[in-house]
Amino acid sequence: MDAVQIANVTKTFGDITAVDDLSLIVPEGSVYGFIGPNGSGKTTTMRMIASIFYPDRGDVRVFGKQLLGARSDLIGYLPEERGLYRRMAVQPMLEFYGELRSCRKVKTEVETWLKRLDLSQWATQKVQSLSKGMSQKVQFIAAVVPAPKLLILDEPFTGLDPVSADVVRDAILDLRRAGVTVILSTHDMQVAENMCDYICMIFRGKKVLDGTLASIQDRYGNDTIRIAADGGMGSLGGLPNVEKIRDFGQVQELRMALGCDPQEVLRALVARTRVTSFSITKPSLHDIFVRIAGPEAGEAQHA
Amino acid sequence: MHRILLIARRDYLATIRTKAFIIGLVVAPILFGGGFLGLALMESKPDLKERHIAILDRTGVLAVAVIQAAQESNAKDMRDKKTGRQVQPRYVFETVAPAADARAQRLALSERVRREQLYAFVEINPSVLDPAQDAKGDEEKKDSAKDPAASQVATFANSGGFGEADRWLASAISDGVRKLRLAKLGVDRGQFKQILDSINIGRFGLVSRDEKTGEIHEASKKNEAAEFGIPFGLMLLLGMIVMVGSSPMLSAVTEDKAQRLVEMLLGMATPLELMIGKVVGALGVSLTSSAFYIIGGTLALEGMGMAGLVPFGLFPWFYVYLVTDVLFLCSLAAALGAGCNSPQEAQQLAVLLLAPVMIPYFMLTFVMQQPNGAISTAMSLFPPFTPMLMLLRQALPGGVPAWQPWVGLAGVLIFTFIMVWAAARIFRVAILLQGKAPKVGDLVRWAIRG
Repeated sequence: MDAVQIANVTKTFGDITAVDDLSLIVPEGSVYGFIGPNGSGKTTTMRMIASIFYPDRGDVRVFGKQLLGARSDLIGYLPEERGLYRRMAVQPMLEFYGELRSCRKVKTEVETWLKRLDLSQWATQKVQSLSKGMSQKVQFIAAVVPAPKLLILDEPFTGLDPVSADVVRDAILDLRRAGVTVILSTHDMQVAENMCDYICMIFRGKKVLDGTLASIQDRYGNDTIRIAADGGMGSLGGLPNVEKIRDFGQVQELRMALGCDPQEVLRALVARTRVTSFSITKPSLHDIFVRIAGPEAGEAQHA
Repeated sequence: MHRILLIARRDYLATIRTKAFIIGLVVAPILFGGGFLGLALMESKPDLKERHIAILDRTGVLAVAVIQAAQESNAKDMRDKKTGRQVQPRYVFETVAPAADARAQRLALSERVRREQLYAFVEINPSVLDPAQDAKGDEEKKDSAKDPAASQVATFANSGGFGEADRWLASAISDGVRKLRLAKLGVDRGQFKQILDSINIGRFGLVSRDEKTGEIHEASKKNEAAEFGIPFGLMLLLGMIVMVGSSPMLSAVTEDKAQRLVEMLLGMATPLELMIGKVVGALGVSLTSSAFYIIGGTLALEGMGMAGLVPFGLFPWFYVYLVTDVLFLCSLAAALGAGCNSPQEAQQLAVLLLAPVMIPYFMLTFVMQQPNGAISTAMSLFPPFTPMLMLLRQALPGGVPAWQPWVGLAGVLIFTFIMVWAAARIFRVAILLQGKAPKVGDLVRWAIRG
């Protein structure tokens, strides 16, 4: 069964169309990632899945059912902004949230998760005494207690240091392995590439990409060359059949024109400088994102 | 229901565990009753500075009698009979001979009052000696408002500066004039006291018959505290608890919204569950406050040997009105708070929540004077005001016709249901909206369309 089915959903706020005729399917047990620029409609879509917003048109089903405003302990939701009672102690607050969702006592689950995310010693402290990263971990626990079947995470890694991010990522992947379907949004393309089974890009309320990373990259073909050469960017100017160069410092990424032979580029390069690395790849998700939502896309539209 | 109770319990505990709540329990009655307490304190510390009053006697015979009566009265009233403590200023009189130019003389005396050489001056006109003046036509009486000479006695003082002294002086002048009139009629001076002594009027309730035994119960003597103090106190208490319970809701919802708590909570509970939970939590706080005051007040009255004044029969009504008022005002506050993006915006709407409590306070004196008048009845049947005004009328001597509280209650229940329903619809739409504050039209549209 699909965990989430969204069919022709539109949501407007006054004159602004936040989500425009969106349709997608989230397979059960997968990690499904939303990417897109700020204000593109990711959060609104996730809120509609969590039944916080109702669509103006279209149909949202979770595990085959329309929730229509009903709350279910099947769904765990982590909003982008921290929504914690600052003057409450950590554990009582998490127990309150967990019981609110499941309508049963969740003390054991809360203690387990606090221990797992290395927060046991903070259980009796007030939330206002926590760091930003710790608050984010506490909020993550609030979303996963007690054991949802669908976990919706809006920017789950915001504010986390690398160690905490690893802990949360491992927890998410463990939940996925336990059969939990995870929907997350992220601005970190590495996270989307590495964690998500499916990626959906929403741009100006519309779905512009949807599928596995490989299937998305296949649409763009092997049009990217990643090189490392003496002289860096300085040695790459005016190469034939190169449409765009992205400089990463030690490495540069070249996008080739349609039908271009990479060997031609390599020959031109070798004639100029010493090449230490040369690989023909598919475009990264970051590159695809920028091609769709970056200034170049705007220029193309104007052209 | 479980989620509603969970939210209510959390909000309730979060409120009553704060120092602000505990301090508020003590401070609120001082703030609400502070005006009256201040008045009582000021009355206990009157201005005892000697007051000079000039008597301008145009009759040529009254000044001496008036001054004598006033001095007798002053001597009698100046000190508390039990403690001997001075409770009233000493009045010093001077007689002023009438001048040819009455207007110029009044101006000169007025200037002396302005310079605080005099406290006031009194002009006694010849008409005072002729009681038949009272029977004159309305038109002539109207003229007396403009011309001091047309009044039997006119007092002149800086506006607002006379008050209690004016009442005392009027009584003393009347006393002096009556004595002179009696003397003129040939009544023996020794009989004056007997004739003029004030009459002791005993005020009683009604005689009743015990329906079971048929025994007639004598009317009990009326007690001013029971007649007016208890109704007034009960209404004051209801308004205070309702305000203390409902007014924080507006800022609390706005704060939850600003801190993004709402989005987290709405992932776990529906907007209706969230709003009702918050309202029930506030109701719990109000009931706790009321228990504190009701039990404390009852014990205090018992301790003072005035247990008979406790209006036990009105307590059920008190609580019914308290619950409906808090439900309606808290729902309204939650809806308005949901529409606001900052505490500043919320503050601007707070006046809407104060109106159902403050307007009955403003009507207090009027309703106490005419509890069963048409306006008092109509206002107490207007649902937003019913809890406070109907309770006040029920508590006043004589009460209200039996049907009125029930009709009022039916109106309040219907009104409360509609308000909670509309507020829930507004709350659901507004709670996650950010940006521009909604206009009244938006709120109405959301309430109707959801």
